[in-house]
Amino acid sequence: MEYETFIHDAESILKKWGKDIQHPEPNRLDVYVERTDLLAATQAIIDAHWGYLSALSGLDCPAPKAADDQASTEGHLEALYHFCRMAAVTTLRVKVPYNDAHIPSICSIIPSATLYERELMELFGIIVDDTPVPDRLVLADEWPEGVYPLRKSFTGLDAPEKAAQES
Amino acid sequence: MQESQEKFIVPIGPQHPALKEPGHFEFTVDGENVTSATIRLGFVHRGIEKLAESRSYIQNLYMFERVCGICSHVHSTAFASGVEKLAGVTVSPRVKAIRTLFLELERIQSHLLWLGVAAHEGGFDTLFMYSWRDRETVMDIHESISGNRVHHSVNLIGGVKFDITPEQIEKTLKGLDYLEERTKYYEKIVTTDETFLGRTRNVGKMTKEQAETLSAVGPTARASGVKRDVRVESPYVSYPEYPVNMVLDDGGDLSARFVVRIKELYECYRICREILKNLPEGELSVRVPRRIPAGEVTSRVEAPRGELFYFIKSNGGETPERVKVRTPSLCNWSTISSVAVGHKLADMPMLLVGIDPCFSCNDRLVTVRQANTSQTMYWEDLRKYGVEYYK
Repeated sequence: MEYETFIHDAESILKKWGKDIQHPEPNRLDVYVERTDLLAATQAIIDAHWGYLSALSGLDCPAPKAADDQASTEGHLEALYHFCRMAAVTTLRVKVPYNDAHIPSICSIIPSATLYERELMELFGIIVDDTPVPDRLVLADEWPEGVYPLRKSFTGLDAPEKAAQES
Repeated sequence: MQESQEKFIVPIGPQHPALKEPGHFEFTVDGENVTSATIRLGFVHRGIEKLAESRSYIQNLYMFERVCGICSHVHSTAFASGVEKLAGVTVSPRVKAIRTLFLELERIQSHLLWLGVAAHEGGFDTLFMYSWRDRETVMDIHESISGNRVHHSVNLIGGVKFDITPEQIEKTLKGLDYLEERTKYYEKIVTTDETFLGRTRNVGKMTKEQAETLSAVGPTARASGVKRDVRVESPYVSYPEYPVNMVLDDGGDLSARFVVRIKELYECYRICREILKNLPEGELSVRVPRRIPAGEVTSRVEAPRGELFYFIKSNGGETPERVKVRTPSLCNWSTISSVAVGHKLADMPMLLVGIDPCFSCNDRLVTVRQANTSQTMYWEDLRKYGVEYYK
């Protein structure tokens, strides 16, 4: 199949930065990179003309409960950069801790990432350093600062009356 | 200070109760020419991705179908296919064929709807009325098969809800013949009518390189010669059996976007006919466990507006851990802010509808500001302004 070649190519491009490389599906490649290597890895994908940035999504992985047999013991946030080429999907994954949720902006390489980065900042509270426009994109103007709705810890805002009473 | 007073900012949008994707744009203008454009989205941000985390997969299927009011079936197909992949379930060829049929019927109604809206923004209301009248043919087909005009509820996780009878096939084929004739007429109009071409030719030109850098998708990208179509690149459901011929145009302007979408309609008719004439046999549904095994999956489909991307993560429970939906319009918005620069304010309505952002309404409030004074315009006024400007 064609995608096997593409996945193979992507793996050889990204091997240098990959902390952990996985194949969750035959047409997919997941490469965990350090945030300091994100720009270099993205540049390498673009330089090699390996597909295009299809989506950027966040993921909140809170610390699992004791009963859970997951490998990771500490909670973290993750930014996933999905690149597509034909049927192949390569995902660059960057893990960041809650208390230092910073990642560099890739807009200098892929200008259209700006909308995704703004979304990531608002919904997950991952701070994208040097993103060209840090303004709010999707949440309402009156949405409180520092509340990130797609984090697992977010279970809803207080009712307006209650919030008013408290303040 | 002097400079800032001379700067005009024309905010367009955001709100209209009937608009599916209200967006707020601010165009900075120097006289007639647009010098920069910014976007503010989120006026209909309903928190669907968050909501999905607390609902079962079945409930989510119905919810994701309602992400979009025009292309509803693509969402449920992307979600259902993703969940089926996680569950390790394979659906029968008949299920795939019925899903594909609806994907293409949906593309027909979406492109016809867009043609009408785009014609209206250009001040060509006859074409708008014609294409919307003809769109009723495909809406009737939807209703006769699924019972619904918009949210067809075709999919189940692991199958489809209904079969197609010989009478329905006959009716659909007849409808497609009629639509094909009409489409030939529309193709003639948008490529030969000088008045209309005056609004579309060389407007909103986007080169292949620009389209690639800006990550444009769907017909917007294909009208700039970018080979990007998930149906061809990564065939899903029945597309391996009914291959699609990708429609490309090197024009890169609005006119090319019209041509690409209209030519795609012919492809839709051809694929629908092929499916209806050789509908494969098979069970309509298979059993899917309520708990979906842990894993992550990406699911890509070609919506009428371009690539739709789903990322689904399951922790092995009854509800998904995370569902990411990246709709094609989000990719195409970014082309607006770049392409708008250098164009005339009068071109903005056409330019915006050129990417087909579900811009189905008018009457949107527009405020023209200059320093401390402000003047209020409605979207309808801006449209009229555009039409008058080109008279």
